Amino acid sequence: MPKITLDGKTLEVPAGTTVLEAAQAAGVYIPRYCYHPALSVSGNCRMCLVEVEKSPKLLTACSTQCAEGMVVSTASDKVKAARRDVLEFLLINHPLDCPICDQAGECGLQDYYMEYSRAQSRFSQEDKVLRQKRRALGPHLMLDNERCILCTRCVRFCSEVTKTAELEVMERADHSFIDLKAGKSLDNDYSLNIADLCPVGAWTSRDFRFKARVWFLKKAPTVCLGCATGCLAEAHHNEGEVFRLMPRPNAETNTWLCDRGRMTYKALRAGDRLTKGFIKNGLIDLEPALREAATRIDEAKGAAAVLGSPWLSVEDNAALALLAAAMKTEHFCFDFKFETGIKDGILINKDPSPNAAGAALVKAGKGGLGMEEFRARLNSGAIKLVVAEARAAALLKEELKASGARLIAFATNRADIPAGAYATLPYASYFEVPGTFINYQGLKRAVEPAVAAPEGVKPLWEVLNKLAAYSGASLRLDSAADAMKGMA
Amino acid sequence: MISVKKVNNRPLNLLERIYLPEIARGLAVTMRHFFVNLFNPKGIPTVQYPEQTRPLPGNANLRTRHRLKLRADGSPKCVACFMCQTACPAYCIHIEAAEYAENSVEKYPAVFDIDLARCVMCGMCVEACPEDAIAMDTREIPGGALTRAEMLMNKEGLLRNLPGEPSTLGASNRLANDYLEGKK
Repeated sequence: MPKITLDGKTLEVPAGTTVLEAAQAAGVYIPRYCYHPALSVSGNCRMCLVEVEKSPKLLTACSTQCAEGMVVSTASDKVKAARRDVLEFLLINHPLDCPICDQAGECGLQDYYMEYSRAQSRFSQEDKVLRQKRRALGPHLMLDNERCILCTRCVRFCSEVTKTAELEVMERADHSFIDLKAGKSLDNDYSLNIADLCPVGAWTSRDFRFKARVWFLKKAPTVCLGCATGCLAEAHHNEGEVFRLMPRPNAETNTWLCDRGRMTYKALRAGDRLTKGFIKNGLIDLEPALREAATRIDEAKGAAAVLGSPWLSVEDNAALALLAAAMKTEHFCFDFKFETGIKDGILINKDPSPNAAGAALVKAGKGGLGMEEFRARLNSGAIKLVVAEARAAALLKEELKASGARLIAFATNRADIPAGAYATLPYASYFEVPGTFINYQGLKRAVEPAVAAPEGVKPLWEVLNKLAAYSGASLRLDSAADAMKGMA
Repeated sequence: MISVKKVNNRPLNLLERIYLPEIARGLAVTMRHFFVNLFNPKGIPTVQYPEQTRPLPGNANLRTRHRLKLRADGSPKCVACFMCQTACPAYCIHIEAAEYAENSVEKYPAVFDIDLARCVMCGMCVEACPEDAIAMDTREIPGGALTRAEMLMNKEGLLRNLPGEPSTLGASNRLANDYLEGKK
């Protein structure tokens, strides 16, 4: 355990800790471009230079390991001058693109310039070396070589995290630039992380391109519902519209976020959002649709069934269980078993649903049939009508078709409506209402709403409450949490 | 030093206290104006705003209605950087950005609306603009509209060059200059 002195403070750090990590732990921020906690140390940007006593030159904090008795200074005049000079070098050929650059507002060059330099440029516009401007690389990314500072974070991400190694630094020295290796295309499942990693505006997202300026965006903590991994994410939104999903790095689950997960927000504004009920093939207002669905449920009496869903929150599953109790039916099922585990060694789970564990929790609290038993009863014709969320109903597509049971489904988007559904009722997406999800590791993930639901669209528990009221029962739900009463 | 003016509040004399002679004197002034204007309407100093306006003094340095400047090829100088919208204290600017497929400037405003009913004519948008694309020198004073919709200016209404523009120096943006160079 070497002891070091950092800006006059004595720290004891584990052996092998770098000066940058030690400073970070002590709350001293050292500026950096090429260093990233999840990638290997490269030490090429020279932004993290610090002064170490008895060392003839400044050392890079990211690649210098703490040694016994080291005396480090991170704010001496020499260090400040070095930071200013490094920034001047980095900015020599940097274009004045800030007005048209999506990175503006969260750009490492802008931030550090304001913090550490504020020097006038000594290079005229005409003297700048020009490089290739924007070009689309892969389905999600845009590359502008002129803005690049060659920190190689993107190159290291592709070779170390995705292990696909699509990118490389071409040429040498002053001529270097980032490019695709011959014969490769940048279409791995995690490519959008490169846009986050890039400290400048060289890599930007094609999806987010020119949609909004980052300083207008507000952040809401959410969870990616793309699969059972349950990555913590952040929805960036403004004026009722979600613009992008970003990862919230955490030790338990994720540092990154996969491309498919990032695109899940698109369903919110897909243009096929359900805001009204859907009976067979016609749109109808929510109230008559509810009345119609309730009439069909009353008709089926004991032959009506309720199916939970691993795509719904724990609260909404519990509300479905309450509906089953109000319908006085024995046919209800919250049993979903998928093979879980990380499919690709990074994030993507074998289980495509975000809350199979949450549905299991409801099963533990409220009982219900096993999936096999439910299938068997559906096949035997004991079930005449099924109330289910659209994607869960799709799991029983064949049985439903074969038995001819009526399906009353809940869906957010028209594309989700299962073929042959008798009635479909809209509910609010989990970007719009709160909910709890349990990921494959058994960790509880709370989703907080980022935006308001479209007019007339209610959370699922509220839809169920009304549905029960129309068939003469009451679930007594005033909030999502009410459904959890009586459950551990 | 505050200057103090002493007002002589003398008591009213008899004629004033009778009241009627003063009323008659006041009516005489009104009638004089009425008949002078009736027989000499050209002498009326009133301007029938907003149908009529008076020309602004030639050397007046005023913030008047906004305009968006154009490049030599007729494209807007604006690159939709949202600086004016960010700086605007009245939230009267609404921009939607779009991308040029070919033009090396890359970004342009597909929508650029200014709600003059909200605008406080502070000129912060002009100060904030890094491209010298917005100006408040049309010498038109907005107002006098009957509906809110008339006060809403869109991009087409805002785009206008003054005589002598675009200046031979061209846009401040290097990408724009490259693009215009390529078109020659």
